[in-house]
Amino acid sequence: MSNANIPPPPRVPPPVPAYTGPGSPRDVPPPAGSFPIDPATLPKPIRDELQAPDPVAIDTSAAELKDGLNRCPKCGATDIRHKAGSDLLICLYCRNEWQGKRVEEEFGLGAGIDQLKGRIIASGARDIDAAAASLMSFKCTGCGAEVTVNTESTMTARCHWCRHVFGVNEQVANGAVPDAVLPFHIKKDDAVARIRQFVDKRRLFALQAFKEQFTPENVIGVYLPYMIVDGNVSSNVAGQGEIETRRYTQGSGDKKKTYYDADVYQLDRHVDFTVDDLTLESSTERGNLDTRANTNNIINTILPFDTKNAVKWNASYLSGFTSEKRDRDVEHLQPRLEDQLLSIARAQVQASVRQYNRGVRWEQERLDVHGTRWVSMYLPIWLYSYHQPGSKGGLLHYIAVNGRTGETMGSVPVQQWKLLLAALTVGGFLEGIALWIIGASS
Amino acid sequence: MSDDGGLWLLLMGPAGAVGVYWALYRHYRNTDKSHAFERETAVQAKPVTGSDQKVDEVKGTQRTRIPGDNVHEYRKRVQRIQGDSS
Repeated sequence: MSNANIPPPPRVPPPVPAYTGPGSPRDVPPPAGSFPIDPATLPKPIRDELQAPDPVAIDTSAAELKDGLNRCPKCGATDIRHKAGSDLLICLYCRNEWQGKRVEEEFGLGAGIDQLKGRIIASGARDIDAAAASLMSFKCTGCGAEVTVNTESTMTARCHWCRHVFGVNEQVANGAVPDAVLPFHIKKDDAVARIRQFVDKRRLFALQAFKEQFTPENVIGVYLPYMIVDGNVSSNVAGQGEIETRRYTQGSGDKKKTYYDADVYQLDRHVDFTVDDLTLESSTERGNLDTRANTNNIINTILPFDTKNAVKWNASYLSGFTSEKRDRDVEHLQPRLEDQLLSIARAQVQASVRQYNRGVRWEQERLDVHGTRWVSMYLPIWLYSYHQPGSKGGLLHYIAVNGRTGETMGSVPVQQWKLLLAALTVGGFLEGIALWIIGASS
Repeated sequence: MSDDGGLWLLLMGPAGAVGVYWALYRHYRNTDKSHAFERETAVQAKPVTGSDQKVDEVKGTQRTRIPGDNVHEYRKRVQRIQGDSS
């Protein structure tokens, strides 16, 4: 029986939906703070709103962190919470405070990226077992009662009989328990202030109903699932570039035209590089960045996080917050990773083709992935949402605050008639000037 | 004033209106924003190597850029030559 040792064919994952759509992520985003029109040319109310300050992001380089368990190491109580504004856990019984271990040092995630070979997957990033249920039952060790935790949205529960607190710490196959968690640093009050500041910059043309119902105090702290990927890759790109050799004009007056001569070059570029902590959404819903259908690009924009400071998983960090469960495996995310690695490669070679002053047309690209390392992580986000009614179920607008750096981004629904009126007013004003110039010169 | 110049000036109004609408819409809705991973990820690259070979000359073109210029459009994929992936 020679066939007995042949491994079964690998399971082919379902095709990944293309991440396309206007705006993102196919377009390279503009530099932060840039605006396509010079604000000085706009009327004063619009200019004032545009030039109001943005919420400031803070630097969050945390100190070395230490160990944490679900039981208080001092008194053994289970009523443990995350201490707001820090990476500390605090025992609500004896007020003891302690810190979780950083996964960066614990698992050696920061080192040896250039030596990576093959695909290394951390235990919390393993493939999701489709049969694993979201609802999990625990036997309370205090009183023996059955307690159920819905891992779709929460990772802790309290026994309603004896008040014992449970956390889902075991890495179950349903994808709910990641390798690491990055605790919230930005407190709720701070997040509320940032959202308010963000919206105050966008009031003039905002939807009336949005302004009336705006209550940033309803912001929710949520841990969203991500895959943090290190990669060791090489890339080749080939194409053609042009260098201008001569520029001349022919004709005179209205018939004057500029002509160019140029040398055409065939270009090949090769670059070896490593990426550290590339962050990918590992939930199907959050990974869909089609701006026609949703505003998930807002949550994507507040990346990156200081993932170096992530601590070992401990469900107590999630107490009081909600969470979303991972539903994508490494295999599903591989095309997205390769797409981003190719984009990085193209950005890396750009400096080497600066002399081609008439531009470069890349025609072919190749990516060799030598090694990758995948770690699943819960990252903290303050999320304010507003549902704008409309056709096809309307649109859910998010304003998101990075729970570590405070970076804020949002989608504010617009009052179309006001925006059109402003555009037509400016257009009419310009047209008036144009007509005046034509009238004066004829 | 020539007819051509007059026509261009008359387009100033509609162009200004569209420009203001588009710029303000994006300021509010931020549909053009996404994570700039090309700039914001820690990348350690070895020096770029490669070759440049002159293959042709263009004479008397009115184009200001090479056709299909995509040097800044990192995210627009071009023909993929299959490499290793792990």
